[in-house]
Amino acid sequence: MSISKESYRVLESIVGAEYISDDPVVCEGYRSGPGGYESGLGYERVMTVVPGCVIMPKTTEEVQRIVRVCCRYEIPYVPYSTGFYGPRSHPHVEGALLVDLKRMDEIEIDEKHWFAVVGPGAIYSPLQEECMKRGGYVVIGGGGAQASVIANFLGDGWSPLSHRIGLPHRRILGTELVLPDGELVKMGSLAQQDDPFWGESPGPDLRGLLRGYTGVRGCLGIVTKMAVKILPFQPERLVPTGISPNTSLALPEKRVKWINFVVPNKEAQVRAMFEIGKAEIAGAVTKVPLFWRAIAKAECKEEFWELWGKESAETVNKFFIVRVLLIGFTSEEHMEYDERVLMDIMKEVGGEARPTRPSDESWIKNADSAGMWVMCGSYVSVDYVIETLSQATQHGELYADLKWKYTPPLMPDYGDPGWFQSFELGHQGYSEFLVYWDQDQNTDGVDLFYVDTAKMNIKNRTYTSLLGPHQPLYLTGPKYGPNYHLWLLRVKDEFDPQWMCHPPVPLAHDVFVERAKWMKPIKDWEVPKDLPK
Amino acid sequence: MAERQTKIDVKKLFKESPKTPVKLDVTDLNNFVYDMSRCIKCKGCTWVDHIYMPGAQFRTKCPTATRYLFDSYGANGKMRIGLALAEGKLQWTDKLLEIVYADPLCGACDVGCKRNLDLEIGLTLEALRVKAVQDGVGPLPAHKKIAQNIEKDHNCFGAPHNNRTAWLAEGKINPAKKADLLYFVGCSASYVNPEIAQATARILKAAGTDFMLMPDEWCCGNIVFSVGMIDEARALAQRNIEEVKKTGAKTVLMSCAEGYRMWKVDYPKLLNCSTDDLGFKVVHLVEHVDSLIKQGALKPTKPMDMRVAYHDSCSLSRLSEPWVPWEGERGWMGMVEPRLTRRRGTNGVYFQPRDILNAIPGLELVEMPRTRENAFCCGAGRGTKEAFPELALWSAHQRLEEVKHVGAEALVSACPWCKNNFAQAVKEDGNSIEVFDISEVILASIDR
Amino acid sequence: MGVKEKLIEFVGAENFSDAPQLLGEYSQDFSLSLPGLPNYVVKPKDAQEVHEIITFANENKIPVVPTSSKVHFYGATIPRQGGIALDLSSMNKILAIDEDNRSVRIEAGVTWEQLTRELKKKGFRMIMPLLPPAERSVVTDYLEREVPTNTVYDYGEPLQAMEVVWPTGEIFRMGSASVDGFPDSISKGANPSGPGLDFYRFFQGAQGTMGVVTWAHLKIESIPKMDKVFFAPVDDLGYAIEFLYRILPRRIGQECLLLNDVDLAAIIAEDWPADFERLQAALPPWTLIVVISGLLRRPEEKIAYEENFLKQVLKNEFPALHLAESLPGFPGLHKKLLPMLRNPWPADVPYWKNRYTGACQSLFFITRPVLAPQFISMVEEMAPLYGYPVSDIGIYFQPIEHNRACHLEFHFFYDPANDADKERIRAMYYDIARALLTEGALFTRPYGDLAPLVFEKAAGYAMTLKRVKKVFDPNNIMHPGTLCF
Repeated sequence: MSISKESYRVLESIVGAEYISDDPVVCEGYRSGPGGYESGLGYERVMTVVPGCVIMPKTTEEVQRIVRVCCRYEIPYVPYSTGFYGPRSHPHVEGALLVDLKRMDEIEIDEKHWFAVVGPGAIYSPLQEECMKRGGYVVIGGGGAQASVIANFLGDGWSPLSHRIGLPHRRILGTELVLPDGELVKMGSLAQQDDPFWGESPGPDLRGLLRGYTGVRGCLGIVTKMAVKILPFQPERLVPTGISPNTSLALPEKRVKWINFVVPNKEAQVRAMFEIGKAEIAGAVTKVPLFWRAIAKAECKEEFWELWGKESAETVNKFFIVRVLLIGFTSEEHMEYDERVLMDIMKEVGGEARPTRPSDESWIKNADSAGMWVMCGSYVSVDYVIETLSQATQHGELYADLKWKYTPPLMPDYGDPGWFQSFELGHQGYSEFLVYWDQDQNTDGVDLFYVDTAKMNIKNRTYTSLLGPHQPLYLTGPKYGPNYHLWLLRVKDEFDPQWMCHPPVPLAHDVFVERAKWMKPIKDWEVPKDLPK
Repeated sequence: MAERQTKIDVKKLFKESPKTPVKLDVTDLNNFVYDMSRCIKCKGCTWVDHIYMPGAQFRTKCPTATRYLFDSYGANGKMRIGLALAEGKLQWTDKLLEIVYADPLCGACDVGCKRNLDLEIGLTLEALRVKAVQDGVGPLPAHKKIAQNIEKDHNCFGAPHNNRTAWLAEGKINPAKKADLLYFVGCSASYVNPEIAQATARILKAAGTDFMLMPDEWCCGNIVFSVGMIDEARALAQRNIEEVKKTGAKTVLMSCAEGYRMWKVDYPKLLNCSTDDLGFKVVHLVEHVDSLIKQGALKPTKPMDMRVAYHDSCSLSRLSEPWVPWEGERGWMGMVEPRLTRRRGTNGVYFQPRDILNAIPGLELVEMPRTRENAFCCGAGRGTKEAFPELALWSAHQRLEEVKHVGAEALVSACPWCKNNFAQAVKEDGNSIEVFDISEVILASIDR
Repeated sequence: MGVKEKLIEFVGAENFSDAPQLLGEYSQDFSLSLPGLPNYVVKPKDAQEVHEIITFANENKIPVVPTSSKVHFYGATIPRQGGIALDLSSMNKILAIDEDNRSVRIEAGVTWEQLTRELKKKGFRMIMPLLPPAERSVVTDYLEREVPTNTVYDYGEPLQAMEVVWPTGEIFRMGSASVDGFPDSISKGANPSGPGLDFYRFFQGAQGTMGVVTWAHLKIESIPKMDKVFFAPVDDLGYAIEFLYRILPRRIGQECLLLNDVDLAAIIAEDWPADFERLQAALPPWTLIVVISGLLRRPEEKIAYEENFLKQVLKNEFPALHLAESLPGFPGLHKKLLPMLRNPWPADVPYWKNRYTGACQSLFFITRPVLAPQFISMVEEMAPLYGYPVSDIGIYFQPIEHNRACHLEFHFFYDPANDADKERIRAMYYDIARALLTEGALFTRPYGDLAPLVFEKAAGYAMTLKRVKKVFDPNNIMHPGTLCF
């Protein structure tokens, strides 16, 4: 379903004919699934539609004008940077305007003051390259170097490099946000001047509107510019080597080094992480699930399953790796110091260093998330949580336990409890639980599992990132805060009284549960009568 | 709910799962429904491999996605569009035809996707064109004209067939009556770039590798194949292979990347055999010359004081791995049987031309930011120049920006299609970059 | 039932007052802000009481002004429209120290002195701003974005999860404390973010206008095993700042700051006024202070490599900067200064800013470090026009996070008993602030008179702030008349 001809003409006059289309074939190209993050699932099938029209603005002013036109003509609109995050980044109602922000892809670096100004169309890897040329780095979110920097900062934004700085919202500086009614609010130093170098504004910090841990999925306006912190790195070059599919960064061995340690058990893993945090060393500290090792080794899906088939619950439960990235930020001597301290800690916990390649395939410039789809064809991170290491190390076990109930269709992984790592020098901990399935099978179980994890988190009193738009708001809302959902909805109502910005988010998952018959067994909470249908 | 398995039997799970027959056969789009439905929209098809990402400039390697911007023009969009087509949810329109054909099929998307996944993007794109032709809507008029030319005059240009070997006399070159090596000249070198044909011939002679020509050389069929005219392409393939076999040639050598790919990869594909089973080897001039230089049989001794950039022609590089036919079944978790070794662009002809250029005294080879499997296509090949001249020229201009970025004085490639398109762009741009085919550079560097 | 009776019902008579003398104590502070009396003072003991008070106040549209500290410098807790002064200083429990996860949960009334003392017993410390008064609330200082003297941690702010009471009275927990039943939970409160939105951000810099924070989680750090304090006398501030651009991104050091002669003299002088005068005369125009520390493991080795690096940089790139373990002419300064930097200013000693003339007006903002010298020049040009000698301006330069920005603070000393002096300072302060604002100084903490100036410049931001405020405080009861509300 397209948008009205009248509104199309008005929108066309804003961006020019070349940058707008309501052709059904063009719109089909923007379909959410069936492949992709959290795709091949009920939510995607039930809740997403192709856009009625696609528009590609170039400037903040154009975005404002587009949003105002949408409000005037009652056209629901959805901000879209890369579309990688899956169904939640795609239109949920007919006749929506998809605002493809890819042309707003500027990257400007202030080398001396360690920040970059980016547009929503800029992705991580070019930014990282520009940073590294200048002795800096950014934390490329686990979603991968192909994620939009801004979108990732708003909704995710961490990786093993978060050992030093976890939450991305600490890294957001001057920002421009086009509110759902088209008003522009400039935050941080941009509130008072043209220089985006600083993130705090006078008085209460409206960066609180930008995200709530994992973001509001584009239902509270469109960020058109953001300055992000660059972190000082070290000056030696990381050299790209290899030919696809085996490309990696060769590390300057005296300044950057990964070391893999085998430790005797989980307690040792956890203790090592705590100690490394307390010692305030290293650039990244993480454990990884065993099957990621199989993914890294395998040349193809079939080889992965051959390798994985050789493992068992026993080998999974005996596989305890701690991967540590050392970075000589100050000097070569710094890295040597860090390494000596690390070895002291590993000796204490019974860890042994294993030969480790002097290269980085993944976290510094790539974040190989695409590999997550190799095994089964479909994947989602059913939770990715920043809390403490104390929670992190228990959280995965809860998921692993619950997951058995839904395997199949979930991939059999012998109860692997996901991965966890240290964040912010051990002040925080991170846990992520990933699940995989084949979308050609009956995936109702995956949909149910997903919501069941919300209940599991509520019951076990664990903090989960999948709140807000990610789970039924009326399920999680009363249980966190309590009643955070009421505040979120009030803010939404204030800034988007017409609910034109990506409707029906943040209630989309509630609507899904109402619409999808197979979700009935799990629905045991109240929703208001006026919930969007 | 599964029991809490302590061990899974993958073989059993696969055996007991429902299977779908699958074939790497572009004549049936349904062979690629799995691939189209598993595209994850990571746009690895568009971006330069992130490890090699050069920075804020030169971020992408897909000309079409970069030019037209809408997702629908990139492979990720085309997978969704293709799936809708396969499922009967979309009808053919001019826009759909445009999206399917405005694309040099350069392989950047295929290789980019296969860095991480096992999806056959390139073959899907070929299959979409075949479907267009099968459904009676494709190819585009410009392509149909080429097909008519080939039908009538055995060359893409519609030039007189008799003039195909005029370059010999002009260059005063006498091929051998019989030799182990057959030089397949191709339409471009024959009619438009005689300098390439002549340089190639002279190099071969200088190296002591005499060569013969086909008694009656016809178009390789690259364009008709690429636009989906499978029957016409297959007919040409069969005919050309037969004619070569009659000559007893052991090796067929090309100086054109497009022709090279056509013979090495797509002829076997059309005939459902493997490259190794063609009955002769297919090599590009650069493979042959590199080998000769390393053996000492050819010595580039004449210095060339030049700073050059080398452009990896797609069909010589990421598209050029040998073809092995495959068919089998897909089952549990999308696994296929028998084991399929996918063509991921790893073993393309990347090093040989570089080694050649580095062997030339005085010549300074500089790499462009987008190199090897990340090269930005010139935009001309596989019917694109003819049907989308603006896209082709635009792509060439994009590539020239890289040449300027690295301060190169000259751009060298290994395909007349690249050369001509770059030369046109240079002329339009008014800059002083020289555009060479590698055969010209090699010739200039050797004693004859 | 009247307001008084209701409030007594909530907190008990012993925690309520409307005695004029006591009300007077809440009506002014060390700033130049105009006084404003509350009508009542209450001292709740827990969140439940806060909830009852605020619910009642909201229903009856009575202003509420939260205050947690016993000492105030910015006028941020002076009621502007009467109402209830909500004094949280009795809510001063250190609720938990989590040694594994290195965090502490403290009520709003916990002071620097209290926290520093208790943490020290377990080998921990709180990263601090410069010399916080012993009786200031730690939570308030971090909510109000006091800038730490420590520049080495990427993550900057220590705030984690919080419990608040909204202006409409609901008790609400933010971040990972929002789980049902916290702290009896697997979640330990380390994440400030969410749920739903980053509500905690609305409380930062809010001066109590968005609700009341009853407790907060904060990160704590280990006390280093070894420290070396380096000083450098500085004439050319720009040169020293370039040095900081060079070394701080290399993650050197812990505390790092620059103080001009006036400020450093005011801090270290013991015998007043003789000591101060002598110091002011003898100290170099600026002193750079860099503390490098050995942490829990192999502390000497950490100090060694940092020292090596510093030596190389100084020798090869900054030969004119003489960084040493002592400041020439001031032996033993490192022994004196380091404990000062790691402890609050004692309550029984007049605050260092007030020791010179009795009172001090602080003007501070954020800027790019390289711009500091030009802002200083501006101030030094303008101050004499108001009869304020340049030689009496205290200046404190605090680099922030790898020197990506800095906090620049000016101190204007005056006699609080002298009305003319006060007027002069007020006028000068306002005019200088306005000039600095025009030239790009970034005021993120607009107290008192500065607020209208700053919000005029940030009018778009103010508009959106008001919309957010309307959502959470529809009756505008939380500290009305403050900021842009």
